Amino acid sequence: MNVSTKERPSTQTRVLSYAGALLETMDAALADHPNTFIMGQGVDDFKGIFGSTTGLAQKYGAEHVFDVPLMEEGMTGVAIGAALVGDYPITTHIRADFSFLAMNQIVNLASKYRYMFGGIMSCPMLIRLVVGRSWGQGAQHSQSPQATFAHYPGLTVVMPSTSQAILDMYPQIIARHPGPVVSIEHRLLYNLDFSVSAGAPSKPIPLTSYVAREGRDVTVVATSVMVLEALRAAQYVAEKAGIEVEVIDLNSISHPDWDLVIGSIRKTGRLVIADTSWLEYGVAGEVCRQVMLRDPAMLRQAPAMLGMAAAPCPTAKSLEDIYYPSQHETVEAILTQVRGSGHGIDLPVERSMTEGYKRFRGPF
Amino acid sequence: MAAGVADFQAGERSLMDSDERYRRLFRTALMIRLVEERIIELYPSDRIQSPVHLSIGQEAVAVGVCDALNADDLVFATYRSHGFYIAKGGSLDKMFAELYGRIGGVSKGKAGSMHLSAPEVGLMGSSAVVASSIPHAVGAALSFKRRGSSRVAVAVFGDGATEEGVYHESLNFAALMKVPVLFLCEDNGLAVHSFKNARQSYNLLEHAKTFGIECRRVDEGWDMMAIRQATLDALSVVRAGRPFVLEIATGRYKEHVGVGDDFHFGYRSASDIDSWKAKDPLLLDAKLVAELKPEIDREIAAAAEFAENSAFPGRDELLTDII
Repeated sequence: MNVSTKERPSTQTRVLSYAGALLETMDAALADHPNTFIMGQGVDDFKGIFGSTTGLAQKYGAEHVFDVPLMEEGMTGVAIGAALVGDYPITTHIRADFSFLAMNQIVNLASKYRYMFGGIMSCPMLIRLVVGRSWGQGAQHSQSPQATFAHYPGLTVVMPSTSQAILDMYPQIIARHPGPVVSIEHRLLYNLDFSVSAGAPSKPIPLTSYVAREGRDVTVVATSVMVLEALRAAQYVAEKAGIEVEVIDLNSISHPDWDLVIGSIRKTGRLVIADTSWLEYGVAGEVCRQVMLRDPAMLRQAPAMLGMAAAPCPTAKSLEDIYYPSQHETVEAILTQVRGSGHGIDLPVERSMTEGYKRFRGPF
Repeated sequence: MAAGVADFQAGERSLMDSDERYRRLFRTALMIRLVEERIIELYPSDRIQSPVHLSIGQEAVAVGVCDALNADDLVFATYRSHGFYIAKGGSLDKMFAELYGRIGGVSKGKAGSMHLSAPEVGLMGSSAVVASSIPHAVGAALSFKRRGSSRVAVAVFGDGATEEGVYHESLNFAALMKVPVLFLCEDNGLAVHSFKNARQSYNLLEHAKTFGIECRRVDEGWDMMAIRQATLDALSVVRAGRPFVLEIATGRYKEHVGVGDDFHFGYRSASDIDSWKAKDPLLLDAKLVAELKPEIDREIAAAAEFAENSAFPGRDELLTDII
């Protein structure tokens, strides 16, 4: 997938929020595929999963968009059963943490159905999870389980970081992907405006990684909202120090384009990994594993890693602000990679990223 | 007078139909029993290198229920599903090849005994995680309802599965959405080695009623004809768009997993199942068994030979069909 407009038939762009892109793709799925239905707690209410399903129940009817009881495992099992007989279910979890109640169905059943039965059955479906962050989400409304799900063969796990990523991936996931897909969306992104291509892509776009910004000095491999943090940091260090950062949006957690990632690291020799979750046994570890397997000598020095502190998420703002990597720390990691710890370049004063997002007015 | 003759003829015909039906059900039940007895004989040879959960003693449930279903109705079953596989009409050759871990098996040997399926005849995937296929039947039934189809889905589970949370979630959702699903509980009174009275503080039917779900218990779990009729009665409710809980008492003769008896472990005694054996038609009707057995034995021998001659899946199968 590439968010640049050069592969597209039209260079026209328009502005679309992340929530707006979700709503457009949900709407299109229901319009284009009558076998699609969306179920989840609150999908038909006035908030519509933060605006991503608003009005669809009225437009398509309760057979296509409906609320469910509090039954994460049951709902996911119902989705599997419906998928097995040819429907396309889309389920939602308003916080990713609740998907852990559905782990049995996702991990023991959906991920294995095709393989375990020798390819004679499959359960294509889309499971949408929303990761929370800031304003005291606390330990159980803030987890980002990409590594958890990507660990299990049979699951496709994506983390769209922009409106364009949603427009590129969701329609083809829904129309063509043969198996279950877990998409991990980020609540902080929902209200951000992005520039998106006005035209539809001319050909299917692989569900994999892409270069979000080209650079020669250091590679930042990032996921979800950390892609935007990396892009902001890249802009800062370009302006302050003339450092050119290459930012790769991993985008697909289960099936990244490792050749793309490794090619970039080989070019820059320096690596920062910026993930939305814990570093331990996670995306950061997997990126390093790929480097070690292919050519550890491509790194000029030990890589830097940014992720959540190795603790459950605290609610107090003073702790939450230091729990997540800030823009300050992201810039510091990049500068240290390129210029060493005595780089002497001023760091941004912004320590609370979410305050930055409140002030931020897109589009990206 | 004329009417009387017609009644007599109709009665005679229905008696013949009934005999015919009994014979058909009996044959399928005997097939299940003999297949599993063959599995017991084969097990020490290590041709079947995976756990097996035998349904010997419980055959009448699968046979009675599946005979009442239409060919295009779906069954979602459990790790103890040799009976449902055969009763729904799955291929015996493919079953043996699957148990043998061969490429000619239903699932190319990747499923084994615990994940038997035969989607072409309506047996969907069986799960080894207790209760986990119950919501799948509800989901398929939801799809049938959305399409205005007259098909139904059956969730098969044991009494232990009703202790899992997803059972309650499934009942609630099915009742709310009014989907055509039959919840079929095979009540053998045991979860591995634990008796029901140590596990359940509720009565299954009373519990189902609190969801507004119609329900019935059949105590005569050896009686294929009674189970068939109870299923037909339940299906008339289900096809009208209302879920139904059908609980059938039955007896597990063998150990939870494996091919042996388990009375010598002391947790239960042989007398616990004597009452079931005393009414077991496969034990009582020796004449019919003798009449049907030779042909069934030949079919089983042919299936075992098919499996024996089927290749093992090669390395090229290791990484196929993942996504």
